[in-house]
Amino acid sequence: MQNRPAIVAVGRTKFGEHYGKEPEKLIEEAWLAASRECDIERRDLEACYLSDCFLPITNKLGLEEGFLSELTELHVPMEVTRSVSAALLTACHAIQAGAYNTVLVGGIEKMTDRWGKIRDDLMLLEDPWSYYAGGTPEVNHELMLRAYVQKYGVTGENLEKLNIALAQVAVKNHANAMKNEYAQFQRKITVDQVLNARKAARKPLGFYDFAPISDGASALILTSEALAKKMTASPVYVLGCSSATDYLDFPAREDLTHFVAVKIAMENALKMAGINLWDIQVVELYDQSTVLEMVSLEDMGFCEQGTAWKSIHESCQDYKGYYEINGKKLFTNMNGGLKADGNPLGATGGAQIFEIFKQLRGEAGERQVKTDKTPMHGCSLELEGFGTKGYVCILGRESR
Amino acid sequence: MSSEPIERRVSYLGDRLKASRCQICGKEYFEIRDYCGNCGRKSFGKMDSIDLFYEKGKLELCTLVTEPTNKFTKLGSYVYGIVSFHDGKIRVPGRLTDHIVKDGEVIDFSALEGREVIPRFRRRYSVDKSDVIPTISLAFTLADEYYPHQEYAVAQPDKEYDVPGIVGYGVYTSRFRIKEEGLERAVPFIDEDAVTAAVEAGKLALIHSGVDSALVGKIYVGSESNPYAVKPIAAKVAQVLKLGEEDEDIQGVDAIDTEFACKAASSMFKDAVSLVNYPKSGIKYAMVIGADNSQAAPRGCPGGELDLFVGFGGSAFIFGKNDVIAEIEGWYSCTSDTPDFWRRDGELFPMHGGRFTGDPAYFKHIRKAATRLMERLNLRAGDINYFVTHQPNPQFPVRVAKELGFKDEQYAVSLQVNKFGNTYSGSSPIGLAAVLDVAKPEERILITSYGSGAGSDAYLLRTTSQIIGKRPRQKITVKYQAENPFVEYVDYPTYRRLKLGM
Repeated sequence: MQNRPAIVAVGRTKFGEHYGKEPEKLIEEAWLAASRECDIERRDLEACYLSDCFLPITNKLGLEEGFLSELTELHVPMEVTRSVSAALLTACHAIQAGAYNTVLVGGIEKMTDRWGKIRDDLMLLEDPWSYYAGGTPEVNHELMLRAYVQKYGVTGENLEKLNIALAQVAVKNHANAMKNEYAQFQRKITVDQVLNARKAARKPLGFYDFAPISDGASALILTSEALAKKMTASPVYVLGCSSATDYLDFPAREDLTHFVAVKIAMENALKMAGINLWDIQVVELYDQSTVLEMVSLEDMGFCEQGTAWKSIHESCQDYKGYYEINGKKLFTNMNGGLKADGNPLGATGGAQIFEIFKQLRGEAGERQVKTDKTPMHGCSLELEGFGTKGYVCILGRESR
Repeated sequence: MSSEPIERRVSYLGDRLKASRCQICGKEYFEIRDYCGNCGRKSFGKMDSIDLFYEKGKLELCTLVTEPTNKFTKLGSYVYGIVSFHDGKIRVPGRLTDHIVKDGEVIDFSALEGREVIPRFRRRYSVDKSDVIPTISLAFTLADEYYPHQEYAVAQPDKEYDVPGIVGYGVYTSRFRIKEEGLERAVPFIDEDAVTAAVEAGKLALIHSGVDSALVGKIYVGSESNPYAVKPIAAKVAQVLKLGEEDEDIQGVDAIDTEFACKAASSMFKDAVSLVNYPKSGIKYAMVIGADNSQAAPRGCPGGELDLFVGFGGSAFIFGKNDVIAEIEGWYSCTSDTPDFWRRDGELFPMHGGRFTGDPAYFKHIRKAATRLMERLNLRAGDINYFVTHQPNPQFPVRVAKELGFKDEQYAVSLQVNKFGNTYSGSSPIGLAAVLDVAKPEERILITSYGSGAGSDAYLLRTTSQIIGKRPRQKITVKYQAENPFVEYVDYPTYRRLKLGM
């Protein structure tokens, strides 16, 4: 990649319910947190790339650029996408093209303001035909699990292990979130709780298998490789950043057990970064449900298809803080994942980048991964819809 | 849904489950496509439209929904999944309908997965009272239960008759029943109403007749429980069943709703045969549907006495001159302004005139129509094989049949009120269908309808030899529905809830 973009600062709010805060307060908080981390003035920003998935619906705010302009007193170009990863990808292109030197990338979502209607909105926007047929935001995850179990012939004892492995994903993510001051849920859960919730729901997945509905904001400052070192001593470089797209209609897709958009985005991002898959030690996956954490491990290539549940199950027998896959260590969702950190759609990607950034700089505190030396590479996966968009972003401590 | 254009587009595709297939590579798409994603530009103009409406699908995957989105909450818990057609070439989302998931019931998903299902035309979800009612066929029932799958094959006609008559028919009732004091009555599932029953009945009539739906030039739907005060049921039936020549998204068919209490449909039989007989009408077939989710106030409220008898169902008859199974040999209609039963505009439930509904209303009109017709055709009760009449309760039809001189064996076959309740506009036509299900060639059937308000139509039909040949096409006979092992009985509160609908 020519003229690699670099992240020089990150900031975020706590995720959860921000009943008393207006959306602009949240983005202000995130942006101020990021701006304090590096030597930069707001006047240095030449453009802003923002994201929200459905702020116009939840908060009837059509032009969030306007309130960011008011907050920053800036009149620079500002564009809105649906996810932080999409905003970051666009910002990277702009930096690489030499259009701007320094840009703000941020995201915000305030879902709890529409508590009574949010599930209808989520499903209608994610997959309209499934909504019309009676689908809920949970069904596609459950059907994907059913398809997975059918396709790979997981039955009997193995099926029991798979179900426990999925429960362990939630348990592990909650445990990680205990060390994350920004996380929505900072409490432990047990495998039994996850399993009992499924039993109570009489469904393949239960309450503890799904990420919550959240409010929150995140921000990061992106600049060019050439300027990065002037703003911070240890920038984190965007080595690869890629996206791919799939049908809106989940049932119509050819493969119901995987996300083709994730596979393509990952392959392209790796090519762009010029590194090997296992150079990556830290990943933030899009665990909107525990199934997606399992499936993503396969889609990204860390596990072979149909085997991720085994690696998860074995790693969690005596969990050491990472998944052990074919003898290699993979630190996954150290911030607690969407499950426990929270999932304010338009801001979620920013929290994932935040985590990788902190891990690569060795600044993750209690959450810092236990490796011989600070990890060189990390990677985030963000989805829009139910795998309709897949965004992979590979970050590295060194520009290559 | 607040956007009517979106509603109309979704209904246009979803009601009938329209699909496309590429002539070049064979790839199939749910929805209409102008070109194939695989073949690109060269597939322009080479996409066949295919139809999943009469097809059998497979439930590939399923799960349970216990916390539906807002618009589906009235459905309670339901099984939801992915249904495939054509060996997985097309996959669509869908829910199982006609299936009550009980509190705490654990569903074995793997036992359901892989089973065959057929699309059913239903209400999609709840909307505000002022909104258009959304419908869809992404609701499925298991093909080996109450409704078996039946193929719709268009048959080339063999013979043209001089006298027009019935060429095919179908009866639709729901899988649910309430049983009280020896009386069984059909109860709609919560996503059913007069509109969905009309479409389902029409579908069965097309299957039985083998008539090409494009040749049906007129559709009459009689009902007194249309969920709309203004908006014809017949238009929905025409669009979903593709009646008349389809041009873009408009059907070349005349569609009209009729209203005259319980004779709204049967009154149109003579109009239908007259129309197909008129040399310049250009109409080969006309369809008449009577469908009702018969309304009654709850027990204990004024008008609540009817709640003991109301049923649910629809019947559809196709009239024409080709391959007639029963010729219409004559009719007689009579009318008087008799206010025995009525529903004021804006009122939810009808009222009735108590004792007044019997002698001066039901009996007087039916007797008049039947005796006049028999006089006109110079027939006596003994010359007629079957007598069918309107069945508001189990007693009235028996009494009027006896008064007219008919014997038990002449009218017993047609008595369906004990099995389905009073299906209002569907009532005497369902009785007629029950007779046609068993009648031999060259038999005479006298049918008298009754509509409060008040009037009666009497028809004399004579069956032809074709009645036997067409019979195997219809597995879903009246008897099959009455004696089906998959019938599910519900209690009174459930019956009221289901009847109220989404």
